[in-house]
Amino acid sequence: MIRTQEYNLNFGPQHPSTHGVFRIVLTLDGERVVKAEPICGYLHRGVEKLAEARTYTQVIPYTDRLDYLAAMLQNWGYVMAVEKLMQVEVPERAEYMRVICGELSRLASHLIAIGTYSLDIGAFTGFLLAFRERETTMDLLEELTGSRMTLSYARIGGVADDAPEGWLDKVDKFMDQMPACIDEYDGLITGNEIFQARTMQIGVLKPETAINYSISGPSLRGSGVDYDLRKAKPYSVYDRFDFEVPLGTNGDCFDRFDCRMKEMRQIVRIVKQAIEQIREIDGPVRGKVPKVIKPPAGDAYAEIETSKGIIGYYVVSDGSPKPYRVHVRRPSFINLGYLDEMLRGYLVADVVAILGSLDIMLGEVDC
Amino acid sequence: MFGKGLVKGMQITFKEFWSPKATIQYPEHQNPIPDRYHGRFTLDVDKCIACGMCANACPNKVISLQKQKVGTKQYLTNYVMKIYYCLFCGLCVESCPKDALHFSKVINMNQYHFSDIPLVLVQREAPAVTAESEVAASKTSDKEGE
Repeated sequence: MIRTQEYNLNFGPQHPSTHGVFRIVLTLDGERVVKAEPICGYLHRGVEKLAEARTYTQVIPYTDRLDYLAAMLQNWGYVMAVEKLMQVEVPERAEYMRVICGELSRLASHLIAIGTYSLDIGAFTGFLLAFRERETTMDLLEELTGSRMTLSYARIGGVADDAPEGWLDKVDKFMDQMPACIDEYDGLITGNEIFQARTMQIGVLKPETAINYSISGPSLRGSGVDYDLRKAKPYSVYDRFDFEVPLGTNGDCFDRFDCRMKEMRQIVRIVKQAIEQIREIDGPVRGKVPKVIKPPAGDAYAEIETSKGIIGYYVVSDGSPKPYRVHVRRPSFINLGYLDEMLRGYLVADVVAILGSLDIMLGEVDC
Repeated sequence: MFGKGLVKGMQITFKEFWSPKATIQYPEHQNPIPDRYHGRFTLDVDKCIACGMCANACPNKVISLQKQKVGTKQYLTNYVMKIYYCLFCGLCVESCPKDALHFSKVINMNQYHFSDIPLVLVQREAPAVTAESEVAASKTSDKEGE
């Protein structure tokens, strides 16, 4: 008598479409996923523990290594928490520099997200085109900070350095070119029927489930939930910019991808406005901060919207020059929480599409 | 109509044949390196006062320095960076009160042997203190005192 049985398949850890070292143990019935068990921790470095043995400033380079595709946003969240703890005022010009550098980082991260997603689906040209613009973005960041990926640009009470001469004009010029490039990706990837067939109605995430699982970032907005910290609880100088929060309707892979694509157009809008406004602001880029940073005993929590979702830093101080405890709320890790149920019932080939649409970053998942 | 998006995508790909090349032929051609680039470190020994601020600023304890007292001043005798632990964050360069430590544009730091990797920026003997130099040192210190 012929009978069928379920079997296990190891997806990863060394699989290119996991975007790092991530393992999913899939239980399959033929080609259908019955159960998926995500296993992470292969990239664990103990950043939270390392932070306890370093001074407040020395933690900044370590936060770079969480989400290394958008390092500035990780720096920013941490310094915001320490600034809250110390009640330091950040100069206006520094806030604008943070916004410009942060949005460029977000653009670099989204370009990777859409590029590698098209690669996951099987479109190689889209990947190359996205990397072309990412290269320009990284050149600009390199000119500003000296590093291409791990920027370490934010400092407690400001930023490391002011923009070099002519840098803002270069960014402005690049932002003028960017919409045409996004049109190119739209034509090549978003409008492609094969791509749509692979992503539409796949990995549907309902808005109420997304809220219950505390999912954030474009993955949440793809389900149609209007929650972007930059709009909902404006931090820094985001209340001075006019921009929209793109939303999806169905909450499938395509909507999550499309949200990122539309968000890139908003990034261009924000950066252009920021450059316009920063030209009228002169002044220092570093606030008045003592040389040895010793926040008063207490704790502070600050959260910002990164390219992956809401990153939160909880910093506890005991009055010494080193933090007593640093905890990071990593959006990539929390967004993975629903993965098991999201994958159930879909084909093995869709696993890659669903995982890619969440845009996780393993440096951040494992911390 | 099904296939319209595919045709549009093909058009975009086709256009790329005539767009300028985005890549360069490395290593024959190289992109210009910006001024703030985090390359290999250089130390201006004459400016350095061996205060050790850079070593304290480093998150990974990369920098180790030795100094000796010559007359009234500290004399830097040894300055080694365990560059394999370096994050190139730039906190040491930023912390230098005398602006002696800098980044250069050198990117090739590869070595064949592990023993060659540590970056030795200073290795020298402290000058012997002669009676004359001591007198000179005391004179300058007197002047500073005035």
